Amino acid sequence: MTQMNTADVIIIGAGVAGLSTAMQLAGRGAKVIVLERDRVGNGSTGRAAGLLGQLRGKAEQTRMLVDGLAIVKELEKLADVEIFVQTGSLRIAETPERAEEISALVEMGKSIGFDIDHMSIDDVARHLPYMRTDDLVDACYCPTDGHLQPAELAAAYLKVGKQRGVRCETNTPVTGIIVEAGQVRGVRTAAAEYFAPVVMNAGGPWSYLNAELAETVLPTAAIGHYYLTTRPDPANPVDRLSPAVRDRELRIYTRPESGGLIVGIYDAEPDRYDMGKLPADFDMSRMKAARDSLQVAQLIEATHHRFPWINERTPMTITTGIMTFTPDARPFCGEMPNIQGLFHCSGFSGHGIVQSPVIGLIMSQLILDGHSTYDVSSIEADRYFDMPGYIDRRDIEDRCAAMAGNYYGKVERPTVAAGGQAAK
Amino acid sequence: MKVLVIAEHDGKSLRAASLSCLTFAQQVAQATEGTVSWLVLGSQATGVAAEAAKFAPVLLVESSRLARPMADSCAAAIANVAKNHNVNLIAAASTSFSKDVLPRAAALLGGAMASDIVRHEVTAEGLLFDSPQYAGAVTATVQLLGSPQVVSVRSSAYPAATPAAAPFGIEAIAMEDATLASRCEFVELKTKQNSRPDVTEARIVVSGGRALRNSADFEGLVGKLADVMGGAAGSSRALVDAGIAPNELQVGQTGKIVAPELYVALGISGAVQHLAGMKNSRTIVAINSDPDAPIFDVADLGLVGDVYEVVPQLIERLQSR
Amino acid sequence: MKILVPTKRVPDTDQKIVASDDGSRVNVEHIPFIINPFDAIALEEAVRIGEQRGDVEVVAVGIGGEGYEQPLRTALAMGAQRAVHVRCDESLDPWNVARLLQAVVLRETPQLVIMGKQAVDDDANQTGQFLAALLGWPQATFASRVVVEGDRLTVDRETDHGIETVRLPLPAVVTADLRLNEPRYASMAGIMKARKKPLDVIAVGDLPVAIEPRLRVISYRSAESRKRGERVKSVDELLDRLTQPGAALHKRG
Ligand SMILES: Cc1cc2nc3c(=O)[nH]c(=O)nc-3n(C[C@H](O)[C@H](O)[C@H](O)COP(=O)(O)OP(=O)(O)OC[C@H]3O[C@@H](n4cnc5c(N)ncnc54)[C@H](O)[C@@H]3O)c2cc1C
Ligand SMILES: Cc1cc2nc3c(=O)[nH]c(=O)nc-3n(C[C@H](O)[C@H](O)[C@H](O)COP(=O)(O)OP(=O)(O)OC[C@H]3O[C@@H](n4cnc5c(N)ncnc54)[C@H](O)[C@@H]3O)c2cc1C
Repeated sequence: MTQMNTADVIIIGAGVAGLSTAMQLAGRGAKVIVLERDRVGNGSTGRAAGLLGQLRGKAEQTRMLVDGLAIVKELEKLADVEIFVQTGSLRIAETPERAEEISALVEMGKSIGFDIDHMSIDDVARHLPYMRTDDLVDACYCPTDGHLQPAELAAAYLKVGKQRGVRCETNTPVTGIIVEAGQVRGVRTAAAEYFAPVVMNAGGPWSYLNAELAETVLPTAAIGHYYLTTRPDPANPVDRLSPAVRDRELRIYTRPESGGLIVGIYDAEPDRYDMGKLPADFDMSRMKAARDSLQVAQLIEATHHRFPWINERTPMTITTGIMTFTPDARPFCGEMPNIQGLFHCSGFSGHGIVQSPVIGLIMSQLILDGHSTYDVSSIEADRYFDMPGYIDRRDIEDRCAAMAGNYYGKVERPTVAAGGQAAK
Repeated sequence: MKVLVIAEHDGKSLRAASLSCLTFAQQVAQATEGTVSWLVLGSQATGVAAEAAKFAPVLLVESSRLARPMADSCAAAIANVAKNHNVNLIAAASTSFSKDVLPRAAALLGGAMASDIVRHEVTAEGLLFDSPQYAGAVTATVQLLGSPQVVSVRSSAYPAATPAAAPFGIEAIAMEDATLASRCEFVELKTKQNSRPDVTEARIVVSGGRALRNSADFEGLVGKLADVMGGAAGSSRALVDAGIAPNELQVGQTGKIVAPELYVALGISGAVQHLAGMKNSRTIVAINSDPDAPIFDVADLGLVGDVYEVVPQLIERLQSR
Repeated sequence: MKILVPTKRVPDTDQKIVASDDGSRVNVEHIPFIINPFDAIALEEAVRIGEQRGDVEVVAVGIGGEGYEQPLRTALAMGAQRAVHVRCDESLDPWNVARLLQAVVLRETPQLVIMGKQAVDDDANQTGQFLAALLGWPQATFASRVVVEGDRLTVDRETDHGIETVRLPLPAVVTADLRLNEPRYASMAGIMKARKKPLDVIAVGDLPVAIEPRLRVISYRSAESRKRGERVKSVDELLDRLTQPGAALHKRG
């Protein structure tokens, strides 16, 4: 093969995960080739609503996302773009259990210096005049949260990456992973072979198929997700700087978009997809919800409860896409124990956009240094490796779908676990 | 074959599209050793008939009942003439007028109709037509069974006919009022001659993206280019969000879905949500200063350049044409 | 008042559609089928008229093979009260669809038929006008606003020259254009109720219509796949390309 097709790291997939890692790696001088089956950011990234909420149930995860937002702001300077819109965000509680959850989150957040506090229901009503608040018992507010357009984030990663020498080839599906004596050598496409000692699988929903190319198992599943976007309605104006809202009891989240409102739902019984059965030229941006989709009906019903002016007659578009879930809703980031040089970077459920800045940094550290400045024990790629119940596709899918179905529903018990030092 | 071409006019002059349709009819007539004539319907249409006669013989039905071209009366008139004159093929340019009237006339004549044809072929088995389907993704070659055959013709597929050396004759046809009665009552026509067309209606859409720095630049570059091209102005979400372009101009997933003949993207990166609104456009032109912008992947023609330099040049060249 | 809404089942044309290699058909195996988007608009309009007036029965009609239950259930979930499936396994041209619809209209005696201006598969734009002519009813095509007052309709029509307003008596045929409304997604209650709503099946042989083909498709071919991503070097080259014969800025005549 030609010299041109050799690199230090080959990344499969030009979504936010692949592109963020490519940018970080190139920033440290690595030669990186990104191979993308379709167009840049046309997987889950192209479907995402773009909410950037930093608050997580665990302190070290929250810290990571706080650092991630700092990386986004740095990126804005490097790429000379303005993409992050700071709106603040709310979590609301309608039951005593949810109120407890919020109190614990506020305590956890404060303990690590994250800007968060309770907000009175009257203040919530003032912030969001278009939202029903009479059934709320508590709320908390994170002023530094916000949102961005995922396409713009992907473009910014790529722009800076290219300045640093990243090569990105689109319309180039990886069809084989070359492994010799337990060590990765490169990848194969229809037209060529590419060589590198490290291959990173950032294939989003397709990641488990990519793992199969190397005859290994990655326990992720492709799970459907829906959100609606209302058209601007002069009778119910939505300020473009209105805070995002997360209502876990109703399983919905929302943010302003184009003068209307985005409302997304974590379904109790989400759609499942068999990525291997989709046509080779499957284009996620062409996915469409049926007019009598049960999921959409549930989404509209939950939305109507919280925003009574929205119902099935409200002019809206429905976006549906595919997320990548894992059995515990935490991603897989790191090297596989059985194949040297094969790294996974996948399984970001509904939070791959917000996680991508810091994940890119972490992956670059794991690949170049063999360890990270962050505590990555909860996201290691091999945490289910060879475990019974995590090998068969059906089992994996059931576990991931169950996790997805429980995702917003279950009440969190925030922990202020030790460890997890922030970088710097 | 005896071919009848329905002349579309505004009471004063023929519409250009009808002249392209006449070319189609002349080609068929020539290949089948047949004849072509116009059918002019109207209330005071002698002027139009005279203009049409420069190109082909005219059959003229004049009646006060045809002052407004209502589908039921026009279809009845067409069917009546077709039967009495043993017409084999009826054609009209594919316009909102003929899309309304022609199928109704076809139904009165047995229902053999092909829509929006872009090509024809005279074979031993008869006429074959190419008709685009699936929003243009597929072209079907079809044959009509039964007579007369009725076709609407996409005018861009045929050049305009040229006038003959001497005018042809005009034959007035008398038709009973009862035949021409319409149960539809015309109330009004709201034309929007002077304002820019709506993005979803226009043949040409010129859209601006974040490259445009303020409303004045948007109007001066995007709006102006739209005007000289005779099209609509559109925008990406970025400009709507920044308050530079009004909401109703937004093209994309949460904005308008458009499929014009020409879509010009000025300083738009080509995010999937934007592409969702315009990817079915016939021809896409992108002007962007970033040679790697994803919009270039979907564009038929891309020009790498600064919109602030390129667009004024385009406007100037187009104005001096 | 009874409103009949013909609903066609079509492949989602936003997906990549190509002809089969031998040209005998269009490949739709991997394409999801949906209710024809213009028919969904027609249905929405009928349902809204019903919601305003209260005394309206909306009947969705589908003519075709097995899969037709799906769009009819969708129509019921969106608010139609009843559905009629004319079971016909052979593929039909617009003329024969219109004749079968005529037979259904004569059975059902609705005052109004609202249907899509065209189906997005064959893009024919004929069936509504055919049906109006066969019934001898007035028609209002390409509607962007429909108002029912007593036994009259006022309709705004989209034409090449602007919005034309017409008034016509019932019974009538209206065809729906894109801007008439934005169809809803069914509500939970709508989906639940749809399961119990009647969906009658009529065998095509039970209607007094003998199928008489008028349009035969000889072959299909995919549109020349666009050559994308071409670059031009200058404004002049760009204008040259755009003003060539057949191009969008070519001056005709
Ligand atoms: C509807 C929806 C809403 C969402 N909302 C949010 C949100 O508000 N906030 C948030 O943080 N997250 C959100 N998410 C989740 C987020 O979109 C994902 O977690 C994130 O985009 C994952 O990025 P990725 O790079 O891992 O995957 P992707 O974006 O899917 O990228 C993977 C890429 O790999 C390519 N690929 C796969 N296999 C191969 C191969 N063999 N060869 C070449 N290329 C290959 C694919 O084509 C694809 O482009 C949402 C997701 C969905 C579906
Ligand atoms: C749920 C959702 C719905 C959305 N709906 C829509 C929608 O309906 N419509 C829509 O458009 N977007 C929509 N978006 C947003 C979309 O993702 C992009 O953010 C948006 O399209 C970007 O707009 P843009 O191309 O103008 O800006 P950018 O992405 O910032 O691109 C600007 C481009 O201009 C180029 N440029 C800059 N200066 C110049 C110059 N002087 N000359 C030439 N080129 C220059 C740059 O190279 C760049 O490519 C939606 C997003 C989400 C998440």
